[in-house]
Amino acid sequence: MHADQPILETGVLAELLESTGDDVEFVRELLDTYLAETPEHMAAIRQAIEADDAAALVRPAHTLKSSSATLGAMRMSAIGRELEMAGRSGSLEAEAHGMLPDAEATWDLTVAAVRGWQAEHPR
Amino acid sequence: MTGAGTALVVDDSAVNRRVLVRRLETLGLAVLEAENGREALARLADPDASVDVVLLDVLMPELDGYQTLAALKADEKTRHLPVLIVSGVEELDSVVRCIALGATDYLTKPINPAVLAARINASLAAKRLHDLEQESFERQAALNRTIQRQKEELSRFLSPQIAALVSSTEGEHLLAGHRREITVAFCDLRGFTSFAERADPEELMRLLNEYHAMIGAAITAHDGTLEHFAGDGVMVFFNDPLEQDDHVQRAVRMAVQMRDRFAALASAWSERGYELGFGVGIAVGYATLGRIGFEGRHDYGAIGNVTILASRLSSRAGPNQILLSPRAAELLDGMAEVESVGELMLKGLSRPVAASNVVGLRETPVSTSR
Repeated sequence: MHADQPILETGVLAELLESTGDDVEFVRELLDTYLAETPEHMAAIRQAIEADDAAALVRPAHTLKSSSATLGAMRMSAIGRELEMAGRSGSLEAEAHGMLPDAEATWDLTVAAVRGWQAEHPR
Repeated sequence: MTGAGTALVVDDSAVNRRVLVRRLETLGLAVLEAENGREALARLADPDASVDVVLLDVLMPELDGYQTLAALKADEKTRHLPVLIVSGVEELDSVVRCIALGATDYLTKPINPAVLAARINASLAAKRLHDLEQESFERQAALNRTIQRQKEELSRFLSPQIAALVSSTEGEHLLAGHRREITVAFCDLRGFTSFAERADPEELMRLLNEYHAMIGAAITAHDGTLEHFAGDGVMVFFNDPLEQDDHVQRAVRMAVQMRDRFAALASAWSERGYELGFGVGIAVGYATLGRIGFEGRHDYGAIGNVTILASRLSSRAGPNQILLSPRAAELLDGMAEVESVGELMLKGLSRPVAASNVVGLRETPVSTSR
């Protein structure tokens, strides 16, 4: 189901720009922050799945879902949501293991899309 | 937006934090940040940080939103702080749990600026109201402390009854002047004037201090109202402002106690070469009581023949005599053994007074009327 979601919903970034008085610098920095902090969450997610630790999966997945949604990274956010739910269900078996490659591929696509947006919005 | 306030944003995601910080700054707030609950509590513990509202994420490492909220509500210093829970739309069950734990309200992500402004305004208003109440409470407490201190200070200068009267609600009425039947006891020392002429000042003050300490303790023990000390003369009355059914008995018991204790003092003084005696006059009658004096220096006093009679009886009393007026003797109701000392002509009074001396208290009063 996450496949239906856009990698980057640019409307969300447009709203952010609008509500900050077209502060491109602010939104660009926000995206940099996102690119800098998300790999930590991804690493925590990978570690939790590999260790079959459902409880440890919940928080990084939740943060991924939340921060991705804030910036319009909707497919990443949807994956975060599915991982969080898998963590809460307490069973990581097949489902979460299967999602890991998809999550990592989506992250690469998201990074590319974010860089693309930044290129279109120079400071 | 009324602005002016400090918010603390607690979220483990730097992206979410920055967006929220930006929005809050746009609303005119100063913003502090914390990555998790533990950091948030440390920020709040800093006495220099005056935070007005906390925006709290639920899922965080170290110390999550629930634990942070519980810690905030358990601490007297942070209990009143408005806490807004920031959560996803899908997490309303955790919001309910947070509100049950004492959170003020919640915000869903993504943050809608208008909703944020409304929630922040409401929280800041609540915080301001709380601060005002706290301030007024503290002012009231300071005022109460001042009043208490004044009362204590007052009771050093006035007899405790008068000090209590001054600060009571009916005080103004009683101070303005009223008429009541009272018992007046007047006591002084025999041979004091010649002693005062001979003794050196240190010796005089030392002896007077011993005497006054003894007298004062007896007055307090019997709830008498001290009207004044004048050298060796002391005037005490009963049944005002504190009403006492047994005012005569109290006066006589006090006088007997003073006489007993005076005996110990007198024998010590005698060894130092001073021969002093103690006499008391007690009378019962109506007097006008209230604030007497002039602006800037008032006393709570009693005016009436009864005070003159007690004073004259005291002057006439021989060493260790407690002389009673006829009315005082009549009201004693057998609680003391008395002996007649005959009809006395007293200075300033046109008719002779049938006085009696108190020999001693009776263990069990011989009741004649009741």
